[in-house]
Amino acid sequence: MTDFLTGVVLLFAGGLGAIVAGERAKAWVFFGFTAAAQFFILPPVFEILLNGGQLVLPAYFSQPIGTAYLRLDSLAALFASVTSVGALLTSIFSIGYMKIYRGQGLSSYFVFLGMMSASMLLVEVAQNAILFLIVWELMSISSFFLVAFENGNEEVRKAGLYYFIAMQAGVAFLIAAFALASAASGSLDFSSFATVLSKHGSVSILLFVLFFVGFGTKAGVFPMHTWLPRAHPAAPTGVSALMSGVMIKTGIYGILRILLLSGIPDYRLAYGVLIISVITAVFGVMNAVAQNDIKKLLAYSSIENIGIIGMGIGVGMLGLVYNNPLIAMLGFVGALLHVVNHFTFKSVLFYGSGVVYSQTHTRNMDNLGGLGKYLPLTSLMFLIASLAITGLPVFNGFISELAIYLGLARSFSAGSIAMIVAALFGFSALAFIGSMALLCFTKVYGICFLGLPRTKYHVEPNERERTLLVPMAMLTVVIVGIGLLPWITIDLLKNVIMEFVPSLNPDQLVPLTGIFRTISGALAAVIGLVGLFYGLRTFLLRRRKVAEYKTWDCGYQVGSSRLQYTSSSFAQPFLHLVAELVPQKIHVEKQPVLFPEQASLESHTQDLSERFIFRPMIGILNKFLNLFSWIQSGRLQLYIMYGLVFLVVLLIWILGVK
Amino acid sequence: MPAAVTEIIIVISPLFLIGLTAKVKALWAGRKGAPVLQPYYDFFKLLGKGEVISTTTSPVFRIAPSIGIAATFVALMVTPIPIFGSFIHFEGDFVLFAYLLGLAKFLMVLGALDTGSSFEGMGASREVTYSTIVETAFFIVIGSLALLTRHFSFESIFASVNLSSGYSPLVKILLVVSLFIMLLAEGSRVPVDDPTTHLELTMIHEVMVLDYSGPDLAFVQYAASLKMTVIAILIADLFLPSSVPLMVACVLSAAIVALVFVSVGVVESLIARSRISHIPQFLFLMTTLALTSFAVVAFFLFGVIK
Repeated sequence: MTDFLTGVVLLFAGGLGAIVAGERAKAWVFFGFTAAAQFFILPPVFEILLNGGQLVLPAYFSQPIGTAYLRLDSLAALFASVTSVGALLTSIFSIGYMKIYRGQGLSSYFVFLGMMSASMLLVEVAQNAILFLIVWELMSISSFFLVAFENGNEEVRKAGLYYFIAMQAGVAFLIAAFALASAASGSLDFSSFATVLSKHGSVSILLFVLFFVGFGTKAGVFPMHTWLPRAHPAAPTGVSALMSGVMIKTGIYGILRILLLSGIPDYRLAYGVLIISVITAVFGVMNAVAQNDIKKLLAYSSIENIGIIGMGIGVGMLGLVYNNPLIAMLGFVGALLHVVNHFTFKSVLFYGSGVVYSQTHTRNMDNLGGLGKYLPLTSLMFLIASLAITGLPVFNGFISELAIYLGLARSFSAGSIAMIVAALFGFSALAFIGSMALLCFTKVYGICFLGLPRTKYHVEPNERERTLLVPMAMLTVVIVGIGLLPWITIDLLKNVIMEFVPSLNPDQLVPLTGIFRTISGALAAVIGLVGLFYGLRTFLLRRRKVAEYKTWDCGYQVGSSRLQYTSSSFAQPFLHLVAELVPQKIHVEKQPVLFPEQASLESHTQDLSERFIFRPMIGILNKFLNLFSWIQSGRLQLYIMYGLVFLVVLLIWILGVK
Repeated sequence: MPAAVTEIIIVISPLFLIGLTAKVKALWAGRKGAPVLQPYYDFFKLLGKGEVISTTTSPVFRIAPSIGIAATFVALMVTPIPIFGSFIHFEGDFVLFAYLLGLAKFLMVLGALDTGSSFEGMGASREVTYSTIVETAFFIVIGSLALLTRHFSFESIFASVNLSSGYSPLVKILLVVSLFIMLLAEGSRVPVDDPTTHLELTMIHEVMVLDYSGPDLAFVQYAASLKMTVIAILIADLFLPSSVPLMVACVLSAAIVALVFVSVGVVESLIARSRISHIPQFLFLMTTLALTSFAVVAFFLFGVIK
């Protein structure tokens, strides 16, 4: 445990080290510290993942925390491994990416990056309510400063504030939940919450809902997801990757931690989690399809994947409710594996979008195109990550989605009609989500990297900055590795799964390993056949003429690259189908003459949750709070008087009237 | 040994079946039509030709047909052949089946976008839009079969589907019709798409492959017909009675597959291609049928209907 904490301190110290370092050396110093931290964090983490057990360290604080336990168990270890590696990759990426920000407050960037990485790790081990809330807030605040890094830009400032407010709203639920839990259990330690949470009744349901809303806000669960599509595009790309790949997973971690303490959940909660997760995933990917800003699209896609993880959790909970360890195991394997998988491919996609942005200075896909020729390596890795996030075979996304599919399919043999209907709902929804993801990522990759540039690039894009590619390359190896050798992950997940499904016989994991081995054979067949057919093609063409000519344009000779399908037009037929769910505002301007020379068309997508839930809610809140506006007179004397009156009332309250 | 022979016959047959459909259409229209083996002549001719490749494209364009055909082949290995079963089978193999077809689609769409042609972009955009409906409905079909048989792999589902109880004929008919709609959609046939109109704004699949030529085009066309054959085999799986001698079963399932392709030709002769805006409605029919069959199974299982 001391090793682990040394690593955390090193991450934090990396930021401080960057302050004193010279402008050019800051990123390298930070990288040095972060890399060193890995040697302290990863060994205990993998030790626990592989062998089980836990590391405990009691820490003595003054009141009100008291004795707080820092525990690294297998669940914490799984998330800590992702967090630690994520921090390392972003520190590598920042070496190249942050060059253009030299002289613009780089110190603060690294200080907060160190703080954010360290606090995420502490969130995963802190098991005392107050300590947890402190590190949780530290994580939110440090990431807020990172989101608002380019605060010269008004949009970024707005996004930052939006993020900040969303996080505070979320933590309000957590504070309420922890207060209630510790009042009912009489202790601040997590392990004592188990007595309250596992007792079925209205209290445990209320607690779970409060925790779910609080943690769900961080994770991006519908309808509390609205901060993601704002904060992710605003943040510097390395931070977006860390936020999307790692930070939102702390919300998932929180939900799982509460679940672990709840024992067998109430059946209503299990159905609730499954349904809300399906809505989250469908809503996320549908909106992702509609976006033209590449980072906004990736943010919505993160919401989708949080939904998929949630579906896994829901299936796992249903398995526990109906006392079917096999279904529970499949659900949790899917959820936990998808946590890791989403970290790998979403980080690659964000880093890739960072490379694109650093070279073209635009995030609007309608201005991009043909980047594959300029950025071949980025293009290849982006393609692999796109295939993986769509859940297609040969890559890791397929494996985690398959586990969730299996859990849902197994539920068809359950005895409860509600579970069967829920299983079909999840089953078909997962297929729907997958096919929409296919639409979404053929769009991203096809529009940005293939075809011709839609606008001229003023400076030819290049990938000479190799530090931008290293993190992507490392993750791509993992994506392909898990995809081809999926059974290895079972060993890493085994101990976590056993904690969630104590009734599971370890032998029941064997069939899953068998399935994964068969798949790995099938995938090898795919790769072999691709090689065979491509070889055949090359062989057939070796003496034939292969001419290069322009694309067949049906005889129309004056086309330009502007004629290509754009990201908006590619998504249009689908958006037309779901117009009620993803409303678009279209603004057309044309000249009412016979031969118009100029015309413009703008389309904006509206987020339903923002339009129908948050705007009206904030409106009501504003009206209500306006009633008290007379208190704010602006005179200092009055404010001091308020304080005094409050103190006097407090004094009376504490000492008693008698 | 018989399994290997069957597999080889299946690998050879798709082009014949496509020729069969064309022949039916010709005869229906009162023409003599091209020989049934014409697709083979085309296939080998294309394999022997050179290629014209657009200067706009990247390596994705060149490797897409190879990935497409390879993925469809492995999908065939997962498909249970009547009586013989499948080469690769495990619990949840239908997910692999659907996602392999998805992989092929993903790459073909990228190949189309790689040419930078707005024409091919249009086809690609429609292809992915309609597949969102078809894919979802396909999983509902699988869901009802899994509920009916309580098995979770393609092979065991279809091995036991014919042993099920009295209400299964109704379910089977619903499922066969939905699979047939899937075949029309995935195979780009009338009324979803018209394979004979090369340069019209109404097309989907054919327009996506406009820029392919030579061996690549041969791969694309073969993969398309193989995909249709695979779905036709699933239909045959549903129909085939379980207790018949090996030879009879072989002949019978071959006849069913051929009949499916003849029906495709008949459908194409009888109805016109739908307007683009009506296609989703047609495809939602598949969803409705699949959901109905699921409901029927569930109602019977829980004794709501007796």
